[in-house]
Amino acid sequence: MHVYIYDDYLDKSKYNRIINRLEIRLTDLGLNGKIIRLSGIKNIRGSIQNEIKLGAKTIIAVGNNQTVNKIIGAIIDTDIYGDFQKKTLLGIIPIGEDNSIAYSFGIKNSDEACNILLARRIEKIDLGLAGKHYFLNHATITGEGTALEIDGYLVEMLPKTEISVVNLISGEKGITKSNPHDGLLDIYVKNRNGYNTHLTASSFTITNLESPLLVDDVLEIQTPVKLAVDKDSVNVIVGKDRSFE
Amino acid sequence: MFNKESGLEKFKDAETVIGPSIKVKGNFQGQGNIVIEGSVEGSLKTGANLFIGDQAKVVANIEAKDAVVNGEVRGNIKAKNYLAIGRTARIYGDLQYGEISIEKGAGVNGQLLALGEDHKKTDKSREEKVTKESAA
Repeated sequence: MHVYIYDDYLDKSKYNRIINRLEIRLTDLGLNGKIIRLSGIKNIRGSIQNEIKLGAKTIIAVGNNQTVNKIIGAIIDTDIYGDFQKKTLLGIIPIGEDNSIAYSFGIKNSDEACNILLARRIEKIDLGLAGKHYFLNHATITGEGTALEIDGYLVEMLPKTEISVVNLISGEKGITKSNPHDGLLDIYVKNRNGYNTHLTASSFTITNLESPLLVDDVLEIQTPVKLAVDKDSVNVIVGKDRSFE
Repeated sequence: MFNKESGLEKFKDAETVIGPSIKVKGNFQGQGNIVIEGSVEGSLKTGANLFIGDQAKVVANIEAKDAVVNGEVRGNIKAKNYLAIGRTARIYGDLQYGEISIEKGAGVNGQLLALGEDHKKTDKSREEKVTKESAA
């Protein structure tokens, strides 16, 4: 059974047309299922967990990066996480802005997303972990005042640099290597001339007393924080133009 | 003496690139090719190849298979296979190598020690043994 989780911002009238078109398309393709609108729910985590307990085969995030993170956050480290990993797939239908996660999976728009759901091409991917928070794409922080402790060595940055810790490539220029199956995070550092540093590590600590770490462009986390990888955590439905093999 | 292959081109798929914007302190150990354009203090070891750019500053003992050095190194260097010292290199430490080439203009202050035929033969027979075991 498909369960579609609609994020609350989709209630705005400007999204009515695209939602109507989406629902017609899903029905035509035989992909209709249960719809849960987050705007009408107080206990989001409980609702999502309940659907998995009821046997949802595919949970589809209809929205943006935040929607995906809400769903992952509702499932990770709960009783039903084991069931989710074994039995449930995660799909995405991107609507609006901030959809770097969908783009990484080769899903460019809502029309294409329907075809991709039908094709049901599945990949197991790692999740990045920043403290207690999971991320799919990346975590970023300014280089100024930031130190990384990795496997017996320390990395210090010069001012006017920016650090991206990448689990899954989102198409950003200069970030060309990242494998979401290898159990490693890719650390990229850029200055005004572009990305010029690349390291890999399975776990490390980031410290910056002034600036927070921004996770998947939506969540700020204070440091010091340990970053790690949860290998092969999630089964995702992906498009053929995904940013990884 | 220094053809394109001994330059940066063969490192363009390096697993690790330490750019000019960062400083590494501690014991750095990698498996793949490493490119250093920034600053490293401590020790630096890889089972693959190492490239040190002309703006790099390394205060560390270094160990690699092949190494190309164009920057400043204060520490000992061991290249089990081939060590290439470029004209902009300034090295303050001892060198151990399978084979070596030094470009005119390079500065080297330290002892040079060839690892010798015995060392190369031991490596080759070890490789053959591993290949035979893998085939079996």
